[in-house]
Amino acid sequence: MKWKKLGKIFDPTQHALPNDCVQFAQSPQTLVFNDFVRIYFSTRTVDKSNGKYSSHIAFVDIHKNLRDVIRVSDKTIIPLGELGCFDEHGIFPMNVVRHGTSVYGYTCGWNRRVSVSVDTAIGLSISHDDGLTFQRIGDGPVLAASRHEPCLVGDGFVKIIGDMFHMWYIFGTGWKKYAPDVPPDRTYKIGHAVSKDGINWVKEEARQIIIDRLGADESQALPTVIEIAGRYHMFFCYRQSFDFRKNKDCGYRIGHAYSDDLSNWTRDDKTPQLDGTPGEWDSDMQCYPHVFECDGKVYLLYNGNEFGRYGFGLAVLET
Amino acid sequence: MGEAAHMFKWKKLGKVFTPQEVEGRSWLKEFAQAPATLVFDDFVRVYFSCRPPADENGQYVSYSAYVDLDRVDLFKVRHIGEQPILSLGGLGEFDEFGTYPVSVIRDGDEVRAYYAGWARCESVPFNVAIGCATSRDEGKTFTKLGKGPVLSYSPDEPFVLSGPKIRRFNDLWYLWYIAGRKWKMVAGRTEPVYKIRMATSHDGIHWTKLNKDLIESRIEEDEAQASPDVFYANGKYHMFFCYRYSSHYRGKENGYRIGYASSSNLTDWVRDDTKAGIDVSDEGWDAEMVSYPHVFELDGKTYLAYLGDQVGRYGFGLAVLDGTLK
Repeated sequence: MKWKKLGKIFDPTQHALPNDCVQFAQSPQTLVFNDFVRIYFSTRTVDKSNGKYSSHIAFVDIHKNLRDVIRVSDKTIIPLGELGCFDEHGIFPMNVVRHGTSVYGYTCGWNRRVSVSVDTAIGLSISHDDGLTFQRIGDGPVLAASRHEPCLVGDGFVKIIGDMFHMWYIFGTGWKKYAPDVPPDRTYKIGHAVSKDGINWVKEEARQIIIDRLGADESQALPTVIEIAGRYHMFFCYRQSFDFRKNKDCGYRIGHAYSDDLSNWTRDDKTPQLDGTPGEWDSDMQCYPHVFECDGKVYLLYNGNEFGRYGFGLAVLET
Repeated sequence: MGEAAHMFKWKKLGKVFTPQEVEGRSWLKEFAQAPATLVFDDFVRVYFSCRPPADENGQYVSYSAYVDLDRVDLFKVRHIGEQPILSLGGLGEFDEFGTYPVSVIRDGDEVRAYYAGWARCESVPFNVAIGCATSRDEGKTFTKLGKGPVLSYSPDEPFVLSGPKIRRFNDLWYLWYIAGRKWKMVAGRTEPVYKIRMATSHDGIHWTKLNKDLIESRIEEDEAQASPDVFYANGKYHMFFCYRYSSHYRGKENGYRIGYASSSNLTDWVRDDTKAGIDVSDEGWDAEMVSYPHVFELDGKTYLAYLGDQVGRYGFGLAVLDGTLK
């Protein structure tokens, strides 16, 4: 697989964003229409009371040349959760999938904790207006911590294959303090669940489906899956669990695995190989991949430096 | 027939266990909450939840432990567990700050415990989910079945899954518990509203929620309900539970009282608090509130263990039924 980088296509600081958001366009996720592509992303506000971030979902509609912006959403697409709910402090990311005339939005909801910074779970919101607004099916999540997945269930990516919903997602394996003077860091791995209705899910409880490349302290995030020529390909990002924010050697890179049976995955990070030129927008970090098909071509959206503070870019599959 | 003819007659026997009197256990200073029994040949093991002193921020953790009461004289304490039956969870786990309350049941050679695990949150004080642990030494020590919960949040049960009561009827596992409905702001403080719910399981690990409030609210829409204790007797299922107002419930006026409901099929319940037959006393340890009922049968008698003032800060007591549960 050979990928050609097309550069950054969206910079959130160049647009007015809803919910008073100013920076970040993280984890782009597409909904393809006849004549344009809607790309959802997570952007952020700063909570004035404590300086902490809250993530909100917004979208940009873009021409099918994947270069020219038509418009950026100017309204709230989905409000944050109620007091004490799993998604009270942010939604990041939201994966969208068409189902009949609806669009199902699988949200990763964030809620702040005391001994650790956060916990997450996966919710379902449904849109009946082609993805302009989404309504929760309930205040709680559809996928949450369970017996062997003790924390941080999130980053759901859903694909309907045959009559089955498949979800690839991440689950936390635990929190660890790597140094006395730093807050605890988490580690998560990619798992898989199935469902007949997209609401009631059966997990493969804590089965890590992608082997580690960096050892037990590798964190894997944001799986995205596409079928190309009869084989399923998964892209995801991975990093060290410690010192990954500032140290580019420990930061996110994009990994890849393939499967012919949706159960056994072979890791092969030789693709996509999007190595950046020093000083470029994606030279220090590459993360939050999203793969999709549009007019017969396969594209990969992803974030660059600083987890997508200044937007996302695109690559196209050449062979 | 008047109401009195239908009302159960509970004769209060007094307070059985006072945590403040226990020595040599740093983790057991106050509270003996949510009693749950396991009957042995010559003693009754009563599990309860307790707390060491609050930390410098006034925050508590809670542990669960047991006291063995003499079967012939339930007011005679024979033994108190040397250690909590469960350790607190690890960093970031659902039960990092508390394992309370606990409900136990025999399962072959094992004893299984279902417990609520407490995490601390930023915008609200806590969140709770239900874990499971097993014992192979007659309920003295338990091993958790995992680092995460067996019953957690779902679309209709977004937070605070607590107060588990485990039962087996007709080869099926039943879990009664409470699920948070909303957090209510009362005088600058967040107060949880929760309702009684139920789930069933073939193995006690994988649960199917009924997704329904079992007990209609009576005193107000935001009535909080807890301790759904189900007992089968005389051809029907009896549930004793407790309920309180959503605001200013830490004193007598709006505090916990014990309610009652019955069912023939375990899913449809008819509430009739006038039958409960137990209320606050005129004076003494349970003059402000009564809560966390637990019914058990022993040597031909039916007992009710319950908490008194300050939701069991000073221990639990017993009442004995005059008559039968009908």
